[in-house]
Amino acid sequence: MREEKNYWQALNLALDMAMAEDSSVFILGEDVGLYGGTYRVTEGLYAKYGEERVRDTPISENSFTGLGVGAAMVGMRPVVEIMTINFALLALDAIINMAAKIPFMSGGQYTIPLVVRMPGGVAKQLAAQHSQRLEHTLMNVPGLRIAVPSTPQDAYWQLRQAINSNDPIIFLEHELLYFTKGILDSSIEPLPIHRAQVRRKGKHLTIISYSRHVLLCLQAAEQLAKQGIDAEVIDLRSLKPIDWDTCAQSLQHTHRLLVVEEDCQFAGSGAEIVTHLTERCFFELDEAPIRVAGRDIPTPFNAQLEAASIPQVADIIAAAQRFRYPS
Amino acid sequence: MKYEITLPVLSDTMTTGRLARWLKRPGDKINKGEAIAEIESDKAIMEMEAFHSGYLAEPLAPTDTDIPVGQIIGYIVDEQEAATAQTHSETSPESSAEPETTKPEMAKPEATEPKIETPEAITTPAEPISTEQKSPSVSGVTSPEPKTIPPVHGKRIASPHARALALKLGVDLSHVPPGKDGRILAEDVLAVAHQAPTLNLEAGPPFRLEPLTLMQKAIANNMIATLSTPTFRTTAQISLEAIKQSAEQQQISLTLLLAIACAKTIKAHPQFNAVYTPEGMAYRDRVDVGIAVDVPGGLVTPVIRDVAERSMDELAEDWRTLKDKIKQQRLTQQEYKGATFYLSNLGVFPIVYSFDALVPLGAAAILAIGAEHNGRCSFTLGCDHRVVSGADSARFLTSLQEQLNAN
Repeated sequence: MREEKNYWQALNLALDMAMAEDSSVFILGEDVGLYGGTYRVTEGLYAKYGEERVRDTPISENSFTGLGVGAAMVGMRPVVEIMTINFALLALDAIINMAAKIPFMSGGQYTIPLVVRMPGGVAKQLAAQHSQRLEHTLMNVPGLRIAVPSTPQDAYWQLRQAINSNDPIIFLEHELLYFTKGILDSSIEPLPIHRAQVRRKGKHLTIISYSRHVLLCLQAAEQLAKQGIDAEVIDLRSLKPIDWDTCAQSLQHTHRLLVVEEDCQFAGSGAEIVTHLTERCFFELDEAPIRVAGRDIPTPFNAQLEAASIPQVADIIAAAQRFRYPS
Repeated sequence: MKYEITLPVLSDTMTTGRLARWLKRPGDKINKGEAIAEIESDKAIMEMEAFHSGYLAEPLAPTDTDIPVGQIIGYIVDEQEAATAQTHSETSPESSAEPETTKPEMAKPEATEPKIETPEAITTPAEPISTEQKSPSVSGVTSPEPKTIPPVHGKRIASPHARALALKLGVDLSHVPPGKDGRILAEDVLAVAHQAPTLNLEAGPPFRLEPLTLMQKAIANNMIATLSTPTFRTTAQISLEAIKQSAEQQQISLTLLLAIACAKTIKAHPQFNAVYTPEGMAYRDRVDVGIAVDVPGGLVTPVIRDVAERSMDELAEDWRTLKDKIKQQRLTQQEYKGATFYLSNLGVFPIVYSFDALVPLGAAAILAIGAEHNGRCSFTLGCDHRVVSGADSARFLTSLQEQLNAN
């Protein structure tokens, strides 16, 4: 199959295929059944697979995520949808204390083949409590893995891989990506789930990002190219673990590092990326790395302030222009 | 105790040195402060003093090979017997077999000889304990090998990549002109590294390759470092009649009198004592004149300090001392660094009508003097155009002529 799909359609297709292939895969969450999911990701699955396998839950994030953990312990492959990542704060006990730790504390007697999907990020004027990014929190939890697909192709394959994995995986979906389009080619051999991908080759600087901001970085790179600055753009695709090798290889020929994240800068993913790569590639760096990140404030409701609180294409371009390039 | 002797840093441009010779032999008694070896740096041969008293111990580094600064070149030990036993990996048990006959001052109850560490024991560290967490990367990440990077000289900032490249390409960072932003990045190092065109020696006759002496390397680096200076030259014909008579009458070196005349002229034209830096023009309040001196295997530029203000006797004494040190190859870096103005005189070669000289880094100008023709010598003033302009040089030479005639 090779056709253009929306991001949500790719996720929907991945769930459909996984459920068709494996009867232990089931979905649970708020409004995933009859309503078809807030972002249509589970559309049509309730009708196809029935209420046993597509289960609507009460508003009880910690309980139904905990249910997912228990089901995973006894051999099921649950896919939990948390309506938005903001509500995942209520489910952190199930995620951090149970899902992430049970394999370790049971000495490997239990695996947790659990996927927790979370729409998140700054969308359109949803205000501070509904515009969060929690990657900084989740990255700091040993035992979890975090996938951050940015394209329909990755959304499809990484969700398939996540469902097949025996580790608990947090699947972060940016709310502004659901209606982005891209070619979904199920015949292309997928990259390993945690492998980063070079989206644009370039020789002057390496821009590292993930999820929706990869798209902004690519736009910035096109404009930078017109100014003679040739940016390489790396889509991490996974925040835990991070594919450092791909990043380091890029720095070996660009010697300049720019990290772009929507999440707040302080102690965020960019802090980890810059620190690790500086430790590893110190003598490759010709400039101090630059982070372009969200402001350290709750996301404002006002549309202009909201836009100003997170990196835009112009911010990425301005940051890239701060480097000195070989003449 | 056993102390390591390491190759000292004798000048701030020195990254390797050669042991000219050992002044002591293994087992010789050494007093703290005593000279134990002669080290050839990029400019001079200098004596190296012992930092501890004891006995010189093997293994000693060989002479006449390039050795990185900081490398261990020998040891000083407390016990004479230990000095020569160092090359054997086993320590002799005989000393502890007869404790009562060894050194009376050690005759404490149960005194045993301190165990002497073998070189192997020192140079082979225990299995390093890695405190690094294996990062959970897809293919497993290990930290990069630590590298030795030359220190950054002065106040200029070089990027890590620039420093690594400089090390790899053998470029001396102190000779890399920084970019407009005052920082040295990789491109700046590469620009210096690529300055020397690669020669195809194979196309010509058979040849032999002699390694560059440290002085040759230093001269090459210093000269390449001048390439980024925008230079112009102004030539004047000036009579040396008066100053020559003066030198003969007073029995003073003509070179010194020329240096003094230059220094006094600079006092009236202080911009010639300035130097350009990206941060601003540095005006120095003392005229230190560097004088190019021909030596076997290259040249050195001993510096006479404060030439404009000090008495003739003092200056003459300084100049004699410097010349003696040059003859003995004992010039230290304090004695050849930091001139604010340079003088190069080829007047002793009658065939030289005129020549120009490269403006060394750190000065605004250099004066090149040719031999006398028809009663006059050519004075060519090479100037950094960032500091002075053509009319400045003309005024300088005019004043200098007056100075010389006033002698």
